Amino acid sequence: MSRPEEKFVTFEIDGREVSAPEGSMLVDGAKYGDVEIPVFCYEPKLGAPVGACRMCLVEIEGIPKLQTACSTAVKDGMVVVTGSDRVKQAQNAIVEFLLVNHPLDCPVCDKGGECPLQDITFGWGSGRSRFIEPKRHFRKPLELSPLVAIDRERCILCYRCVRFSQEVSEDFQLVFLERADHTYVGTHDGRPYVGPFSGNIVELCPVGALTSTAYRFRARPWDIENAGSVCTLCPSQCNVQFTVRDDTKVLRVMARDNEEVDDGWLCDKGRFGYQIVNAPERITQPLVRDGGELRPVSWERAIGEAYKGLDKAAEGTAALVGGEATNEEGYLVQFLLREVLGSPHVDSRTGGRLDPEQARTLARPDLSARVSDIDFAANVLVVDTELVDEAPILDLRVRKGARRKNLNVVVATSRPSTLDPNAAGTLRFAPGAGEAALAALAAAISNQGDVADLARRAGSDANTVRAAAEALTATKGPTVILWGERLSRGPRGRQAVAALLALARAVGIESDDGAGMIEVPAGSNGRGLREVGCVPNLKPGLVDSDERGLSAAEVPRALAEGGISALLLFQADPLRTHPDRKAWEDALDRANFVVGFSDFMTESLLEQANVVFPAESYAEKDGTVTHPDGRLQRVRQAIGRPGEVRPQIDVLLELISELSGARLDVSGHVVFEQLLAGTVPFYRGLTYEEIGGRGVRWQDRDGAANLQQSPLPSTELETPPGLPTEGLRLGTAPSLWAGRTTEHAPVLRFLAPFQRAEMSAADANRLGVAPGDEVEVAVNGTSVKALAALRAELPPGSVFLIEGTSKDNANALTNGGGAPTVEVRKS
Amino acid sequence: MLTELRMLKNINVPGLAGIDVYERVGGYRAMRKALLDMQDDAILHELEDSGLRGRGGAGFSMGKKASFIPKGAMDKYLCCNADESEPGTFKDRLLMQKNPHLLIEGIIIAAKAAGANKAFIYIRGEYELQASILEKAVDEAYAKGYLGENVIDSGCDVDLVVHRGAGAYICGEESALLDSLEGKRGNPRLKPPFPANQGLYQGPTLINNVETLCNVPDIIWRGAEWFKEVGTEKSTGTKLVSVSGNVRRPGNYEIELGMTSADIVYGLAGGPPEGRSVKCWFPGGSSAPVLLEEDLELPYDFESMAQAGSMLGSGAIIVIDDSVPIMEVALSVARFYRHESCGKCTPCREGTNWTVKMLERMDRGDATPMDLEIAAQVQSNIIGNCLCVLGDAMAMPIGSLIEKFRPEFERHMEEARRRNGIDLNGLEPATLASDDHSGPMPTILESRATAGHVIAVTPDSEPIA
Repeated sequence: MSRPEEKFVTFEIDGREVSAPEGSMLVDGAKYGDVEIPVFCYEPKLGAPVGACRMCLVEIEGIPKLQTACSTAVKDGMVVVTGSDRVKQAQNAIVEFLLVNHPLDCPVCDKGGECPLQDITFGWGSGRSRFIEPKRHFRKPLELSPLVAIDRERCILCYRCVRFSQEVSEDFQLVFLERADHTYVGTHDGRPYVGPFSGNIVELCPVGALTSTAYRFRARPWDIENAGSVCTLCPSQCNVQFTVRDDTKVLRVMARDNEEVDDGWLCDKGRFGYQIVNAPERITQPLVRDGGELRPVSWERAIGEAYKGLDKAAEGTAALVGGEATNEEGYLVQFLLREVLGSPHVDSRTGGRLDPEQARTLARPDLSARVSDIDFAANVLVVDTELVDEAPILDLRVRKGARRKNLNVVVATSRPSTLDPNAAGTLRFAPGAGEAALAALAAAISNQGDVADLARRAGSDANTVRAAAEALTATKGPTVILWGERLSRGPRGRQAVAALLALARAVGIESDDGAGMIEVPAGSNGRGLREVGCVPNLKPGLVDSDERGLSAAEVPRALAEGGISALLLFQADPLRTHPDRKAWEDALDRANFVVGFSDFMTESLLEQANVVFPAESYAEKDGTVTHPDGRLQRVRQAIGRPGEVRPQIDVLLELISELSGARLDVSGHVVFEQLLAGTVPFYRGLTYEEIGGRGVRWQDRDGAANLQQSPLPSTELETPPGLPTEGLRLGTAPSLWAGRTTEHAPVLRFLAPFQRAEMSAADANRLGVAPGDEVEVAVNGTSVKALAALRAELPPGSVFLIEGTSKDNANALTNGGGAPTVEVRKS
Repeated sequence: MLTELRMLKNINVPGLAGIDVYERVGGYRAMRKALLDMQDDAILHELEDSGLRGRGGAGFSMGKKASFIPKGAMDKYLCCNADESEPGTFKDRLLMQKNPHLLIEGIIIAAKAAGANKAFIYIRGEYELQASILEKAVDEAYAKGYLGENVIDSGCDVDLVVHRGAGAYICGEESALLDSLEGKRGNPRLKPPFPANQGLYQGPTLINNVETLCNVPDIIWRGAEWFKEVGTEKSTGTKLVSVSGNVRRPGNYEIELGMTSADIVYGLAGGPPEGRSVKCWFPGGSSAPVLLEEDLELPYDFESMAQAGSMLGSGAIIVIDDSVPIMEVALSVARFYRHESCGKCTPCREGTNWTVKMLERMDRGDATPMDLEIAAQVQSNIIGNCLCVLGDAMAMPIGSLIEKFRPEFERHMEEARRRNGIDLNGLEPATLASDDHSGPMPTILESRATAGHVIAVTPDSEPIA
């Protein structure tokens, strides 16, 4: 076992004997004896203590000076006093000092009522101030960024936010400026503090110095209630609590620390994206196309229309399920398609089919890692994913390992990664050449095969591959592979996954305890949807389907050729998220009947849908999602549904009833516990209660044995194709900010990405393109506009566009068939 | 008994800063002896045996400190603390300016003893002249093969870099010095870990003051016994003292530790000007609690100063005569430390600024003896509660000034009050002078009780910055 065993030591605190884990700091150890030691600067999530606020001074027998309990580890036989006159005087003194320059404007401060400074002043302060001098003044409040306001007068300089920026998110933007009592938190040159994780500083701040502009003055602590749930805006599935006012409005999102999932951090999309819940442009009524336009109608009419359309198309229906759908919703959609309409054409992936055998292999409990394995691993290999954009919290997890636990990070991606500076080795491969890159890496590690040839096919060279292989194997111990779903897309997806599995075998994934793989899916609940049967060739439980369903990539053609006539878009927007936009435009045009479930009007629905059902937001629904590491988590309803919105599972159940003629009147947890968990063999017996507030990894339950056994494939790999010798290869890159959060959450609007073409300086020079120039990126006469951006670490020969932008979407140029060769020209 | 100067013996030899002159007067022979003829342990033993105590302020045994450096192959560092910033201290400046090779020789020997092959001189930014002299001397030593790889064929590698600070007192604190040297904001680190285990770039690091390292060559060349011939049992050797303030002959003097303080202040420095008397004196820089005239009878060594409730510190004697108002002394000391507080820990950051504001108010006469009492309590609330010793460095002298000169402070406040016509809310100052400080504060404009908690609303008169 790679995780160190927890040992307990016994010490005495305030006269009681207490056992606490060895190595824990006194502040934490004291809690085992129900003794609270006040702290401001101490926050274990931020790494090593700094001992700056001096609030936690305690007396330790045998040490003449008072010691900071935040930085003193408990030891066997230690005798600690936290309540002596000497300690009390020190605590009084520190509180008094902290309030010297604090404005004490609690009545108008957002933090009032949930403020550690307030609580500690009441609990440990002397209750009165002797300070009568003028206080320090700053201009206030100022915008630290569009998301965070800073009131420097309230700041007690505890260092938390600065440490977060320097040592957790590693954006290195926040610093202390000036010194002594003039010290203040700021950025270089007063630039706005913008980063994917900036909002965490609001939650870290122990006073009202850093407040969220979205939450400022919206509520007092006694106006609100907290509702625990899971954020489904990305695959990280962070545990959150919604701050709810009047049961109807989500006003704030805060972390609900779960070390197994998120380590207590949230990204700004998760923290501020809740604003879409309250957005006025939400669809809150059923819509039916009437006279060429979508018009609000009654539920009866909408269901009736949907019934007619689907009944007519029957097995000619295809369904796309969006990544944010819950397991229950996904299960019901595939049930509706497979069991009621008789169509196997349901897909939640965007990039083609998945090999059934491989899907089961990848799900094997012994090959899968849990998120917290990253903390104890010796090596992490990041393959074909930009974590900060696709699963941001995992990015922080890898950073933490590299910074605090000597984790050896190797990055194998085609686009330069933000983790490169933390990596011991990097392997850059040409877009779409992941298969060759992984085969080369596996060959270099296992000393089999022609490394030089494979490296060339990957657009790299033997030396780079060998260096990366060496970096990956230099440290003994378990290896965790974090890989992006995009690796498995396209016509050679199966071969790429085979190369990945060969590499996994080479680094000892199957034999090492604590080693394993985590696939970062494109959709938030990508894993869950696959496991409940939302893929064309796998029924619930990763069981082979008898019929050959069409993958999403094959649907447009089938629509054009008439094999498919109706489309169910369940929170899916193919024009936005699927490759080959042109084909989808034509296909939607051809479809006889399109029914959508959506919370916002999408391009796909606006012109083409016949019926649109309003979807609940993630704060309004009940259900389960499955984390990329196999953890089933509960999404729980925090607020009432707006307008006429109904639970989508109710709508799906009604459609199923109508179309099958069998009455199905069941609630959400019955769908899960009886239908879903009954059908998916490795979920068997799972209940909502067991999942609880922290989630359960199905691999950790006995039911995991019910997964159909699949062996690791042999390491014999096909020879990957070579690269074209000339032209620029187009790679597409995800962006955390492409999507509906930046369009419908007002505070996040400023982050909406514009299309940019990232290229190397060499290519830009050759093409006569300067940074910031407007360029056209074209394939076969189709082009998108973009601003040129140069990236030093990008090898020549590749150009990258962002996926899913509202304008100039990269999917106009991609057809799911690997990386096309493109032309870039100045417009 | 000291019969001739030791460290300052050659200080006035013309051209001593050049390597040729330095070698002509016997320079670098100790280095040859240490590097070619002595084992690391023997050097350490000699240093420990000499009883040499750190000359930077804390007075910790230099040999012992060097012996804390773990053995074994790893990156180890030696840092010479040349950030001489303690008010009143200017001895290292003299050594670096006049005799830079003595320091370099000491560094080479100490680096060998500690097993460090990368050394730094962290010199305060204001010492521009001294830094350039040192840089030149380092170049000369490199050219001679005394620095760099395989120094004089001993198999020993020592690299030496002169690094200039940017003008912060806190960077003389050893862990802040390390942060600054690493390119970070110079803030003290939490200890433990101590620099001997995890110092510069997390490697074991030996940090010594300039004067300490300048003692090393002679200890190695002449032996520990020779070194101990002068001084007291626990304060061996000679010490450079910088005497300043109200004396007729301010300057640096090399003295035998244990000589009577009066002999330094009166005998060497000439005492206060004609017709004035010593009011108080700082025995070890402005961060040492002040002593009075009668304390001049004490021997000047580490133990005696500590026994008297002060410290020998950096050996900077600042003499204050009876012409100087004590309020002025207190303000000047407090303002310095308030200005230099790094802002990292609460008691120092807030305590120094509060103290200055209180003293300024007292100086204006807008205060009562009770404020003096609060000021004294603030000092004791700072002492021992800070992350590093900077807070104590203000609180100790200010505390001692208030304790020893309370009547003068009170007189000063009363005179200023009358002069400035300040009305203390109709209250006679005398009625406020009481040991019971639980009563209402006179200048609080308004106070109200909220659930048993008093929130004081204070006048905000300062304009927005």
